[in-house]
Amino acid sequence: MSVIRAAIDEMYSVVGQMVGSVFRHGLPLTDKIAARTALTNFVLHIHPVRVRRSWIRMSYTLCLGGLSFFLFIVLTVTGLYLMFYYVPSTNHAYQDMRDLQFVITFGGLIRNMHRWAAHAMVITVWLHMARVFLTGAYKKPREFNWGVGTLLLLITLLLSFTGYLLPWDQLSIWAVTVGTNMAKYAPIAGPYTRYLLIGGRVVGDNALLRFYVLHVVGLPLAGFLLMVVHFWRVRKDGFSGGL
Amino acid sequence: MAADFRRLVEDSREMTRRSFLAMAGWVGFTVASLIALYQSIRWLYPNATYEDPPAFKADPPSAYAVGSTTVIIDKRVVINHDPNGFYAISLICTHLGCTPRYFPDATSDLVLAGTQIAKDPDTGQQATKANPVLPGFKCPCHGSRYFRDAVNFFGPAPRPMDRVHMEVAPDGKLLIDRSVIVDRSFRLKV
Repeated sequence: MSVIRAAIDEMYSVVGQMVGSVFRHGLPLTDKIAARTALTNFVLHIHPVRVRRSWIRMSYTLCLGGLSFFLFIVLTVTGLYLMFYYVPSTNHAYQDMRDLQFVITFGGLIRNMHRWAAHAMVITVWLHMARVFLTGAYKKPREFNWGVGTLLLLITLLLSFTGYLLPWDQLSIWAVTVGTNMAKYAPIAGPYTRYLLIGGRVVGDNALLRFYVLHVVGLPLAGFLLMVVHFWRVRKDGFSGGL
Repeated sequence: MAADFRRLVEDSREMTRRSFLAMAGWVGFTVASLIALYQSIRWLYPNATYEDPPAFKADPPSAYAVGSTTVIIDKRVVINHDPNGFYAISLICTHLGCTPRYFPDATSDLVLAGTQIAKDPDTGQQATKANPVLPGFKCPCHGSRYFRDAVNFFGPAPRPMDRVHMEVAPDGKLLIDRSVIVDRSFRLKV
């Protein structure tokens, strides 16, 4: 019996050590413990140790930056799910998209989540930018973060544009034909830019693959890195609200 | 920085072995980086694209009646057979590259709405209230319109659609080469 009791005690101490290694400071019963927890925890460190109620007034930020980031996460997760069934080739792409709509269980749900979140993200990013502009939050010392934000807007729009081709229906093919022909109007570099973008003279297999690679890896990765900088700068430059 | 560099180069007494090697190292690093930059951009320009070849064969000339307009949609080419010969149009809108569609009547709705339509400079034809119907092409993307002979008359298209080279192949079929753009006066007489 004592052997079993010793084993149970040992288990408790091992579990206790494991839990203690994750939650090092115990319950945040005092401000000091709460501050130490926020400072040393990777997940919480994005959050300031102290936040004035006025900084995060809903009527000031409208939560637009947070909503944009939330939608980015939704798009990343649903996009990952879509990748299990979508093959970026002109022979498969349209059929795979139709299969997602009509054959695969929850395919329509995932595809529409991705589609609507994409539309919504463009809107929230624009509104976020408008809010920052209208409240003057882009001014010193936040000019640099405004610059990072404009790049994030550009990446959001490029993600929309590259994603638009992937269903490979008539609308997407001609939209990208039109869009890349606009690039062609640029002096001197125009035709080279178009050839670079679509990997040929017409929107075909190369264009689909290029847009796919940019859509699922290149642009999200660039966006993620810029977001890391964006959020870090928000922390370092301080919140603009509630002055 | 630049002044320091010049002083370093001009006064060889200050050029120690260590600073020379450091400079050589940075020059090498810069050159290697520029080569890598060139390579990473050049990499994205494919040398072979495996697209549909620009030249293709259509039917023999006898298959196209005089006065006919034939759209070969897969090749995005139109073959017109006029009394004075054949010519081929590259069916790519000169605005932003969509595919215009052929309509036996591409003008009457504009004429009836009161829009003045210019005279076709090549054929001299004009759509008027008295005679509003002329065949032509309408682009579905932004509404550019062209006469049957590919001359633009409405919408954002900046110029007529290209004419491309055609000839009779040894086997008697029409050979059309979309990569060779020809003058608007080009006619193939068979």
